[in-house]
Amino acid sequence: MLEALWEGLLLILQWKPFAFMLVGVLVGFWVGLLPGIGGATTLALMLPFIYTMQPVEAFAFLLGMHSVVATTGDITSILFGVPGEATTAAIILDGHAMAKRGEAGRALGAALTASLIGALIGAAALALAIPIVRPLVLTFGSPEMFMLAIVGLAFIASLSAQGARGMVRGFLAGGLGMMLAMVGQDPQAGVARFTLGTLYLWQGLDLVPVLVGLFAIPEIIDLAVRGTSIAGGVPAGRISRGALEGVKDVFRNFFLTIRCALIGTFIGITPGLGGAVAQWMAYGHATQSARTPEERKGFGAGDVRGVIGPGAACNSKEGGALIPTIAFGVPGSTSMAILLGGFFLLGLVPGPEMLTKHLALTFSLVWTIVLANVITVVVCALLLNRLAGLTNVAGHRLIPVILVLVFIGSFTSNSQYADILVTLVFGGVGYLMVVAGWPRAPLVLGLVLGKIAENYLYISVARYDAAWLARPVVVALLVVAAAVVCYPVFQAWRGRRRSQHA
Amino acid sequence: MKRRQLLVAAIGLAASPLALAQSFGGKTVTIIVGYKPGGGYDATARLLARYLPKHLPGKPTVIVQNMPGGNSIIAANHLYNVAKPDGLTIGTFNRNLPIAQLTSVEGVKYDITKFQWIGSAANETTILAIRSELPYKTFEELRKAKEQVVIGSTGPGANTHDFPLLLKDLLGVNLKIVSGYSSSADIMLAVERKEVDGRAGSFTSLRPFIERNLVKPIVRARSTEPGLENLPVDESFAPNPRAKAIMALRSAPELIARPYVLPPKTPAPIVAAMREAFAKTIQDPELIAEGKKTKTELEFTSGDQAVKILAEVLNQPKEIVQEFSKYIKFGE
Repeated sequence: MLEALWEGLLLILQWKPFAFMLVGVLVGFWVGLLPGIGGATTLALMLPFIYTMQPVEAFAFLLGMHSVVATTGDITSILFGVPGEATTAAIILDGHAMAKRGEAGRALGAALTASLIGALIGAAALALAIPIVRPLVLTFGSPEMFMLAIVGLAFIASLSAQGARGMVRGFLAGGLGMMLAMVGQDPQAGVARFTLGTLYLWQGLDLVPVLVGLFAIPEIIDLAVRGTSIAGGVPAGRISRGALEGVKDVFRNFFLTIRCALIGTFIGITPGLGGAVAQWMAYGHATQSARTPEERKGFGAGDVRGVIGPGAACNSKEGGALIPTIAFGVPGSTSMAILLGGFFLLGLVPGPEMLTKHLALTFSLVWTIVLANVITVVVCALLLNRLAGLTNVAGHRLIPVILVLVFIGSFTSNSQYADILVTLVFGGVGYLMVVAGWPRAPLVLGLVLGKIAENYLYISVARYDAAWLARPVVVALLVVAAAVVCYPVFQAWRGRRRSQHA
Repeated sequence: MKRRQLLVAAIGLAASPLALAQSFGGKTVTIIVGYKPGGGYDATARLLARYLPKHLPGKPTVIVQNMPGGNSIIAANHLYNVAKPDGLTIGTFNRNLPIAQLTSVEGVKYDITKFQWIGSAANETTILAIRSELPYKTFEELRKAKEQVVIGSTGPGANTHDFPLLLKDLLGVNLKIVSGYSSSADIMLAVERKEVDGRAGSFTSLRPFIERNLVKPIVRARSTEPGLENLPVDESFAPNPRAKAIMALRSAPELIARPYVLPPKTPAPIVAAMREAFAKTIQDPELIAEGKKTKTELEFTSGDQAVKILAEVLNQPKEIVQEFSKYIKFGE
């Protein structure tokens, strides 16, 4: 096993695979920065290039590209409030708030460090999980997946403002999100739901235009109204100075970083939940680390922990997502499905053999994730000053560029004008929610988890009747969900007690 | 009079593929795919796009454009109503679009028979595969199964759902269909953890798992491919002509699983040139070798044959269509 680990590293350090990885990293770097164009689409477009490559080279190229997309996606999210990827929306809440406060450098430093640590933990988890991967994945049947979705939805409690009013608003927004998830042809009876008589909505709402509208449009309006640069009146010199502070922040909250990275890995391993979920659960978990009500209020207004959490989860999930792809030949996400096509192309059949005969190749995948992330973070760190400086550019110069990126980004999801319309509608919804003080995160969580919850509940009942409720993991997850819902109440109580003592 | 005929003949000659060599040269041909990048339809289109220029007169550039949505009705509507019939726009979409037309799905704004059919690049063999350790060795044994056999599916309109549904409802096989899995890969995982006993789907997608002895094929639909000839066909067990017709109707589009069409009213010479190039492309040894590697096996069906199959699908008596609609919904 150790030998294969070593062999895997040597495989990737040969000059050709390494060179291909660098090319992949370069492509992924740009794809991540641009909103809309996702990692999956790019993988599909790049697939033909691997025909003539050796397996190690091809995966170094594809995986190198794929594993940095989330890292650079964080940058767009933090700087402009425009989600660089569907998987980097959660980081906007606090990351962009920090940028507006003139702490873009600190936010970027924290996000990059957190994603590096996340990627390393995800890769380590992948390496450690290899011997036990099959039983691990097989424990999670449809009932367990349904309960996981419930645990995810329970995080709405943490994502809402405190107090009865905040909770009610949070759960209402979550309910609206779940309702939006119902749009499209349902998979049980084939009935078209809430499609408003259009073909566009048949396959449901696309996540990218919704997210871009919900998060980017309010920020653009805000920037236009303020008439300044993103960082307002903060002098240029101060903005980038905080990068080291951001790095230190991660180490100050080291255990939070690790916990969020593990959440990401875990979500990645369970095929079907999807990367868009991990960031929100990690963000929800990060808000739980607030000790006083005042601290809790700081989330969403630029608490660095709200950057560290999703940052760490976002990259750690890639290592996890590889597990079901390699061990069963069953991809955990669209990107992984395309990667699977790459396996076939090279004459490899993913499955148990990848863990025995081709173990060295499997480990070379792990090493690719590690190396690609280290390289990206180093390069980003070098560019950090310039990047953070963008928050000092006057709004009227920046807005046209951001608008173009926003609309092109959402248009690429279906190449239809309806994509733009969806962006605008959700832009309006997002703006109203911000103005009225309603949380947007629960809505997104409901939207991402609604369909998953519905389908797995249906499957569980159809397959096991009521017996699934008694499965041990289901019961355990139910307890976790209840704990997650109750935690904010406990948090508030603890906060009150502290202030009484003080 | 004679001179006039000669003139007509000369014009006819001028419009033959020879003259068209100029018309494709330096131009860009766009293949519109009715799905997002990453799926089977998209992969086939991208493969063809790389070899088609070699065989088209004038060696034009061929690019792929994705136009997803409405299970590719949007792409078909676009090709039918918007795209210019100049040979520079080709469409490839959901093979079940004829079914959408037959069952009068809302939003259909095309008549599938009026497209100029180039042909089909592949057929698809739908099979039912069940877990290898189940006691049923043959389809006959499965039909007599006392215990319910659980089949996972992605949802109505997909072959993972419709094929076993007809086995259950028309042939009385003791199946329980559990739908809602997010993809056929997701069902495969459910098979691994014994949540379901098997799944239906294309032979291509199931083959790695058959080779690994996780599942075994038990019955297939009409369309076939090498290695499956001896597998029984669902239609042969039909208790009456009505049931047989419904099963045949469901599987007919699988014979033209990767349809390629030009907009209606595309001039005949352009259609002829495109058909010729398409046929040559699919039989190109280099492309075949590459297809083998990527497990996208291609099978050429000519445009004329495709039209014949379509006619068969669409010329059904009303009562069969009504019966059919009870079981099958258009999807995926």
